Amino acid sequence: MSRQRSMDAILASEYVSIGELVRLTGSRYSTLKFYTEEGMLPFEQAEENLTRRYKREETIKRIHKIKELKTAGLSIPQIKDAIGVKQ
Amino acid sequence: MTDLSLVQSFSLIALNAQRSLHLTTEKKVALRCMAAAVILELYLDGGFEASEGKLKLSERASNNLIPSGPTRWAVLVRLISDKLDDAGAKLDEWLKQAARLSNRKLAQLEHAIAESLKEAGCLEEIHHLLSCDLYFESAGVEIKEYRSDMNQYTRITEELRAEILEDGTVTEEAVCMLWLLRESGCMHDLFSRNELERVGARMDELYSESALARSLFPIPIHKRSELIFKQLLHMKKMAVKTQVGRGLNFVFPIIERSQSVFIETEEMFAGPDQRISDVITRLESYGHVVKVIRGGQVPIIKIDNMCYEAHPHAAYTRVPIHGVRLQPKRPAAVV
Repeated sequence: MSRQRSMDAILASEYVSIGELVRLTGSRYSTLKFYTEEGMLPFEQAEENLTRRYKREETIKRIHKIKELKTAGLSIPQIKDAIGVKQ
Repeated sequence: MTDLSLVQSFSLIALNAQRSLHLTTEKKVALRCMAAAVILELYLDGGFEASEGKLKLSERASNNLIPSGPTRWAVLVRLISDKLDDAGAKLDEWLKQAARLSNRKLAQLEHAIAESLKEAGCLEEIHHLLSCDLYFESAGVEIKEYRSDMNQYTRITEELRAEILEDGTVTEEAVCMLWLLRESGCMHDLFSRNELERVGARMDELYSESALARSLFPIPIHKRSELIFKQLLHMKKMAVKTQVGRGLNFVFPIIERSQSVFIETEEMFAGPDQRISDVITRLESYGHVVKVIRGGQVPIIKIDNMCYEAHPHAAYTRVPIHGVRLQPKRPAAVV
């Protein structure tokens, strides 16, 4: 069992967990989980039941892009089209 | 984004919407757990030396070398340490001793932690809406409450939810947070009923996998009477949110004063415009942000992000006092 990573450590790492993404973006866990399940946030997982790892910079950019599109009034299927996720 | 310590993170959740000037039962429950969080933070930061299963303040901690150690909450740790055996004590004894502090000491701890959170810009003290009520205002009773920074609050709670509800490793901070939430009776604030089943299963997993969880989860520090009282108050609050409860609370506001605030108008039989103007004046004099969403006989007013209906009403004393009764709009409209 490990200690929680400081913000500096998170910002210096290539991969982050979903919890750390929540902390970085201020989004809700349920929202990010939904995006992940819809295939909008790509992740890596070594084995089932292990932590999903997201590429930090890429994923944060993607979340901001989704937020922008949502603010512009697009629906989830439209957002998926816009960011190039297969339906 | 501020890096908050375990004590600060838990306190941000525990103090949110609590009365700041009065020691209510609900707040006492939170403060006991905040005191225990101080010990846990020191424990995680290596502030204790273990010998024969007993923990003693390490020399580093005694010399204030640990950032979260006695430097910050020095008085509290010293106090607990003095009450325990010189040879040290088990973790449960440290935690129970922390939770058994007197009301005065708990208030001092609250002040110290609240100040550190205010300095970090994560907590503020605002006037409770009840301060504007005719009876409280005319009696000069001041009621204030803590309000956590919602952005920071969401980050902390959602990160914890993600860590517990997702597969994968759980950090030591999350284990401590789970235990603190359980002991303070705040689990229901963060997890839905369905999620609580998953949380229970996760706690069982953690109990078998983690040494920290094994030593922490069996320790009870709560006072049963206080938790029961807290649950009763919570149930009462939920009851007055129903249609029937709302009507009853309108007629008998004593059931739940905070959900039925009466503000008097300057003149009797005031028209809708005069009524709303008097209400806004009173609310703004207490620093609330007020916006009228809909006018009419029963206007809807947004006060600090919550929507209220302002029903014309009269309080009957020796002479009737005309005014409006503010009740939260159900279901809360997103405007």
